[in-house]
Amino acid sequence: MSVMTNIKRKLFSEQATPYVLLLPAVIMILIVVLFPLIFSLYTSFTGYKLTRPDTLFKLVGFRNYVRIFGDWDFWVAFFRTVGFLAVVINLEFLLGLGIALLINKITWGQRTMRTIMMFPMMFSPILVGFQFKFIFNDNVGILNNALQGLGITEAAIPWLVDGWLAMGAIAFAEIWMSTSIFAILLLAGLFAMPKDPLEAAQVDGCNAWQTFRHITLPFLMPFAYIAMTIRSLDVARAYDVVDTMTGGGPAGRTELLWTLIARTGYDSANMGMANAMAYVSIILSIAFTYYFFSKLVAARRYMGGAL
Amino acid sequence: MRLLSKLSTVLLAGATAVTMFAGASSAGEFDGYTLKVKLIGGAQYEPLYTRIPEWEAATGAKVEILSRKNHFELDREIKQDIASGSINWCVGSNHTSFAPQYGSLYIDLSVVLDEDVVGAISENVNNSSMVDGRLVQLARHSDVSNLYYIKSLYEDEQNKADFKAEYGYDLMPPETWDQVKDQAIFFADPPNFYGTQYVGKDEGISGRFYEMLVAEGGTFFGTDGKVAFNSPEGVRALEWFVDLYEAKAVPAGVPNYLWDETGLGFASGTVALNLDWGGWATFFNSADSKIQGDVGLIRAPKGSSGKRTGWSGSHSFSITEACDNKKAAASFVTFLTNFDSQLLEGRTGLLPTRPDAIAAVIEESRAAGNDWLVEVFETYGASMAEDAFAVPSTPLWIPISNELFPELQAAIVGEKTPQQALDDAAAAANQLIEDEG
Repeated sequence: MSVMTNIKRKLFSEQATPYVLLLPAVIMILIVVLFPLIFSLYTSFTGYKLTRPDTLFKLVGFRNYVRIFGDWDFWVAFFRTVGFLAVVINLEFLLGLGIALLINKITWGQRTMRTIMMFPMMFSPILVGFQFKFIFNDNVGILNNALQGLGITEAAIPWLVDGWLAMGAIAFAEIWMSTSIFAILLLAGLFAMPKDPLEAAQVDGCNAWQTFRHITLPFLMPFAYIAMTIRSLDVARAYDVVDTMTGGGPAGRTELLWTLIARTGYDSANMGMANAMAYVSIILSIAFTYYFFSKLVAARRYMGGAL
Repeated sequence: MRLLSKLSTVLLAGATAVTMFAGASSAGEFDGYTLKVKLIGGAQYEPLYTRIPEWEAATGAKVEILSRKNHFELDREIKQDIASGSINWCVGSNHTSFAPQYGSLYIDLSVVLDEDVVGAISENVNNSSMVDGRLVQLARHSDVSNLYYIKSLYEDEQNKADFKAEYGYDLMPPETWDQVKDQAIFFADPPNFYGTQYVGKDEGISGRFYEMLVAEGGTFFGTDGKVAFNSPEGVRALEWFVDLYEAKAVPAGVPNYLWDETGLGFASGTVALNLDWGGWATFFNSADSKIQGDVGLIRAPKGSSGKRTGWSGSHSFSITEACDNKKAAASFVTFLTNFDSQLLEGRTGLLPTRPDAIAAVIEESRAAGNDWLVEVFETYGASMAEDAFAVPSTPLWIPISNELFPELQAAIVGEKTPQQALDDAAAAANQLIEDEG
């Protein structure tokens, strides 16, 4: 009885109040985030198949990981995803920056332009995938017909078959869909930018490029790194557009981590192996996130606390 | 004569509908019960569901459709339901290619359905609907592929003379796959016109390879339980795809094609020969097609073994073991596969699994003067009865297909030789078999 009283007293004491208040949030996070993570980590050491729940208890040790480390196709998909991420994010940044700078100059109809700019984001990625799949179709696609009709080429260009062209087509779809995320965040940065440094630069005789390079761009970089962090997580998980346009093929030429993981986990029902792949691929997301956050911190330090 | 034929069709349809419906359930039998179902969705499948209110009115039950997705998404959802142990529904759409994966999820329908309900479906189809000797599916319609061609190409005198001079035999709609290859290469004029095409990814190319393997006299599995598709017959089957690709007789994009691309490509008038299912027949001869009035159809050609290709699958319904009212579920699937239901699906161009429904659609089309649909259903009905075969009944078909198709693609685009690609696929497939124990 005295033990219970002691626990009650401690639970309702003033020092315990913050922890008690935090408890529901902590429990929710444990349930929503930590439990699935631990569960999926556990399954990566089993031969778990979705269609056979009894296999959940069939421990296979490090077999899934050993197979992944010796699987050439997995590592090709891994490094292809790294390359895809690097190219797509940089191009989205450059295009988003250009669009943001142009829209920032508009004095009439700016709101309308901002709304139009966001249209591609409103489409479901699957619809975007279908749209570009038919644009890039080699036989009945609009692009090849236009190129042949204009006399630019006589051949049917295999956009979605050749490895480089197919990755280019997928990157184009991805960039078309998501460049506006960069544009919006950078535009927000431009709106928040103080005018004084720009006016001071003009007084000091800086030309437009010098002003942009040494004042505008450093000011925008923290915004860019936030966008890059968000998009790197998105692109590292790119699935819908790739699956719709090429399904990771042909012959694995456009295979990215998540098309491979989804096919292994759902289509082949081999969830134990898929979770092991997912855990290895998380390294990629952590590395990119860490890199962009460290750049963000450096950029903010460079700005001397202006942001 | 036409009037008589029309009258007999109407009488036959009416009588069968009354018998089927009366046999299936009686009014108010399931009053207040809600039947939970997961059905395949999509334009081709939806018209049948417009009949569900009729079943509800007749039985007093309500139908709650929990899912209405394409089959690949539905398959994923069902797998997740199995994994999480949340089977709270009674009837699910199924397919012969997917059914073996689901283990004991579904019951043996021959226990809950009347013999005449099962017996009304084609025997060939029922055999394909079995898993481990249990009838786990009641098929609503089937798909098997036959060969469409552009008629005018075969009527052109210049084509006939040139082909004879080059290949030494008369230009006729092909009887063998070797002839298809010859003719496809002969007709091809890339990038404006192609000889033929094929679905080139996912289960599509695995299934096409499988039927070519069978037509070449090969088998997918050996007697030792391991895969045997990397045999000389398998290599010959794969070479057919590779040779056409190398000769540019098929569009360069085929490794990325599924049925939408092949169907739309043929309807665009840029492909001479197209192996496809009956669902496209009406579209190919419609005003939306550039080859309207110029489409011919023949049974799928033969391989070197003398056997025709006939990879077939059936869309079906299954009842879960966990269902709390199997009688209501049985009544529901009986209703959705009865004569009237199949006639409704048949009118949209889908191939009924009941021979009497096929006969009625043919009769109805003949009476309406629609010779094209008569030809389509006669051709597909014959191939369904004589040529059709399903994929091997194993839960590993889809996982093995996922290992096989990238290797087939690698051979098609020239990254590997056919033998090397099939050996690599066989090694991966045997690993899966070994893991399965």
